[in-house]
Amino acid sequence: MISLNALIRDPFSALVAWQVIAPPAALVAIGLPALVGRPLRERETTRIVAVAFASGFIAALVTLATLASQGFTAHVVHLGTLFHVGHHEASIELVADALSVPYVCFSTGLCALVNAFAGKYLHREPGFTRFFALLALFGTGMNLMVLAGSIDVLFAGWECLGISSALLIGFFHERRNAVDAAVRAFITYRVCDVGLLTASVVLHRATDTGDFAAAFAGTWPHAVCTLPPATAPVVGLLLILAALGKSAQVPFSGWLPRAMEGPTPSSAIFYGALSIHAGAYVLLRCGSVLDAAPIAAWLLVVIGAGTALHAATVGSVQTDLKSMLAYASMTQAGIILAEIGLGFRVLPLVHVVSHAILRSLQILRSPSAMHDRHELAAALGGPPGQSSWSLLRLIPPSISRHLYHVALERGFEETIVSRLVVQPLLRSLAAADAFEQRWVAILGGASRAAVASRDPRPANGGDAP
Amino acid sequence: MIDVASLPVPLPVIALAVAVAAPAIGAVVLRFTERLLDPRMVAAGAIVTSLAASVVAAAWWHLGDATPARCGPRLVGGDLVLVDGLTSLLLPYVAIVDLAIVLVAPRRAFASAGVRRLLIGASVTFATLGTAHPIALAVLWGVSIVSTTMTLRSTVEGRSTARVYAVTMTIAFVCLVAGIVLLVADPPWQAGSGTIGAAGGWLVALAVMIRKGLVPFHSWYPALFSGGALATALVVTMPQIASYTAARLLVGHADGVPVELIVLANLALVTAVYGAALAVVQRSVRRLLGMLAMSQSAMVFAGLAGTVPTELCGALAVWVSSGLALTGIGLVVWSLESRGGAISIDTLQGRCADAPALAAFFLLFGLATLGFPGTLSFVADDLLISGALDDQVHAGLLVIAATVFAGIAVMRGWFRIFGGPVTIDAPRHEILRRERLAFSMLLVILFGLGMWPGPFVTSLERVATSLLASRQHAATSPVPIHVSSTGVSGVIP
Repeated sequence: MISLNALIRDPFSALVAWQVIAPPAALVAIGLPALVGRPLRERETTRIVAVAFASGFIAALVTLATLASQGFTAHVVHLGTLFHVGHHEASIELVADALSVPYVCFSTGLCALVNAFAGKYLHREPGFTRFFALLALFGTGMNLMVLAGSIDVLFAGWECLGISSALLIGFFHERRNAVDAAVRAFITYRVCDVGLLTASVVLHRATDTGDFAAAFAGTWPHAVCTLPPATAPVVGLLLILAALGKSAQVPFSGWLPRAMEGPTPSSAIFYGALSIHAGAYVLLRCGSVLDAAPIAAWLLVVIGAGTALHAATVGSVQTDLKSMLAYASMTQAGIILAEIGLGFRVLPLVHVVSHAILRSLQILRSPSAMHDRHELAAALGGPPGQSSWSLLRLIPPSISRHLYHVALERGFEETIVSRLVVQPLLRSLAAADAFEQRWVAILGGASRAAVASRDPRPANGGDAP
Repeated sequence: MIDVASLPVPLPVIALAVAVAAPAIGAVVLRFTERLLDPRMVAAGAIVTSLAASVVAAAWWHLGDATPARCGPRLVGGDLVLVDGLTSLLLPYVAIVDLAIVLVAPRRAFASAGVRRLLIGASVTFATLGTAHPIALAVLWGVSIVSTTMTLRSTVEGRSTARVYAVTMTIAFVCLVAGIVLLVADPPWQAGSGTIGAAGGWLVALAVMIRKGLVPFHSWYPALFSGGALATALVVTMPQIASYTAARLLVGHADGVPVELIVLANLALVTAVYGAALAVVQRSVRRLLGMLAMSQSAMVFAGLAGTVPTELCGALAVWVSSGLALTGIGLVVWSLESRGGAISIDTLQGRCADAPALAAFFLLFGLATLGFPGTLSFVADDLLISGALDDQVHAGLLVIAATVFAGIAVMRGWFRIFGGPVTIDAPRHEILRRERLAFSMLLVILFGLGMWPGPFVTSLERVATSLLASRQHAATSPVPIHVSSTGVSGVIP
């Protein structure tokens, strides 16, 4: 467990620790009363979460100043050991370095801003407490992931991000589309989590510990991978798989435009700012693995560039603002991953921060921007201004028509994945389930005719889960 | 003060006797005072007594020097009464599951003989977990099979399930009895043992396979959930008596792990993935629950054959965490069904508006099933996967696949039950106080042990080490069999 004595003796460690303690403390403070049937009032709820994020932000700023004064030397903070069995130990290791501390300043500050915005935006919304509980859970996951000094802690944060993201997409649970989008996002996350989980296990086997210090020598961004040559490409490819899901890269990008079903503040912080870049962060943290595995790095470049091209094309034909912004986010995320694959380290970090700030502002502004535009159109008696000149006009009309069709079909990405993977798998499972039910019915004494006349529909009703 | 050391029978054995007797006495009391006393209070009192006694037995083992307490005659190394690490871990676990069921059971469940059967079932389960004697195990298997079949047959809709259960369990029981006879005749860990003992081991393995619901003998498992009362399904499956039987009877062999156990472990891995994958496409929440329970219980077995303490610790942790979490989900489903009838997950049911508190509890139990950080299942999965990969890489990868499918199935189920437009035109159903108490109790354990797992994992390590030691001892030190006044007996390692 967390060693309080160590924190008291070392104020720097206490500052770093507070950043991962404050958001879950807020989650417990607003979640427990709701669970026992006595939810807090709106003002109390927002204040508690605001205090958690604001204090975390201040702690992060002080940490950054301290770190800067020491030339950005990495500090490993050992918060304690959860348990150990034989040589297997689960310890809570955090790291404060040139990557994690600026990133946590930016992410906690953004969470605090969105908290303030959402307090007004969701006023009297039935799921008010739920939203802020999930925001606190998201903050917990984000800070754990960013400050993680071991892949175990990173995985814990990663899981918190995934579940809070899915639950916020399905926030308006009475809407069918929102629920379907949430399930789709969760399935994508879960499938890609295999990458991080397996990478974690491979790291444990290779280094006898999940600590990054045992896998990478030196400080970020000049760290060098110390994994065996055969292990590095495996870990690299597994981390890329994990990153593709969270960052909505081809072929796992279908969930992102649908994720905009959630409330605007969560869309801004998840799919414009922080969650969409979680994959990039993990790859930046483990960038030295990609340096040691050129195959993985080049694969990342191809996927990132391909996604950017795909998303830019599809985004250009979207007719609603949130979808356009979703594809714009996907484009930038693809470019950032390609930059990481090309070996840049500081450039993608700057790109992430600048893109996140711009995009979250755009998404938060989008409802009122639409309102302003409608008012302007009403005042002018028509749509304001003409569409500007675009590079796309240089494309010959025949190719443009084909591209338009492809873009409307979202690059056939979902159709291909569905036909080649999802539907065959679901059909096989449904057939196995139907066979079992028939067999049990016969064993239970039903006649063959009665069994044969049962509902022949596949077990999931024919649609994707 | 009572001097514990001077007691004629070891304290844990007395505690076990209390744990076994309390529900049985509760059932008898209910039989004669049904109209005088509140059946729920009687049942809860009996189970709380069992829980207290179980905690005493567990504390004695875990806080003491980890010496097993024994009593009564022995047969091929198995004591009639045995309280060791495994027993002291499972007794409180089963008592908590039973207590939660008693607290949540709808009122109409207490208007029938169901509660008496539940108490008798609990008593039989406690007794089973307190013995390693092959004949006693066989007898208790038989009693529980008959009792469960009768319970299932007591309702019209459960008759076909009763038939499925009776047919499969009778085959399992016959295999167990035949296997035990052959094991007694020719213990396979004895020097010079022949094919008779080996055949006995395989017959016991077959019995375990059927009762455990391992592929290809698994079809009864989801059928029990979909056709019988949910309480019956939970009481029958959550203690995982088949795993316990395997841990007691399939011990010893050259490398410390019996071949039968290795084969069962590999089948269990297949079952874990298969069950979790099928759970993804279910249309009924009860079958979803059955498939999940089948998958999770198979994961326990996958780790039970491990040769490293980490893997065994993982298996034991999954045993407890998945059992408590699935009990929680099952009881939430039972509460929902008691308010609005059977639940299909073919389409969105929109029950969140109807029962928001139950939605929250289902979600929290779901998170506790899918290995969410801060829950006991996160610790359990971490131990199991790490241990399995230390042991065999394919095992670890299959466990990862099973956890991925299980997570998808749980969250899909949650969204299907609680998401979507409101379909029930009725006033909001508030959660009852006893329901909240039961769910909170389970959550406190699942999240408490997840946040602060150190002492629990240390206890699990002691249990795992003692299990591994008993296997090694059985493998390297052939046990001389002799005939005593109580029958054929072996000397326990």
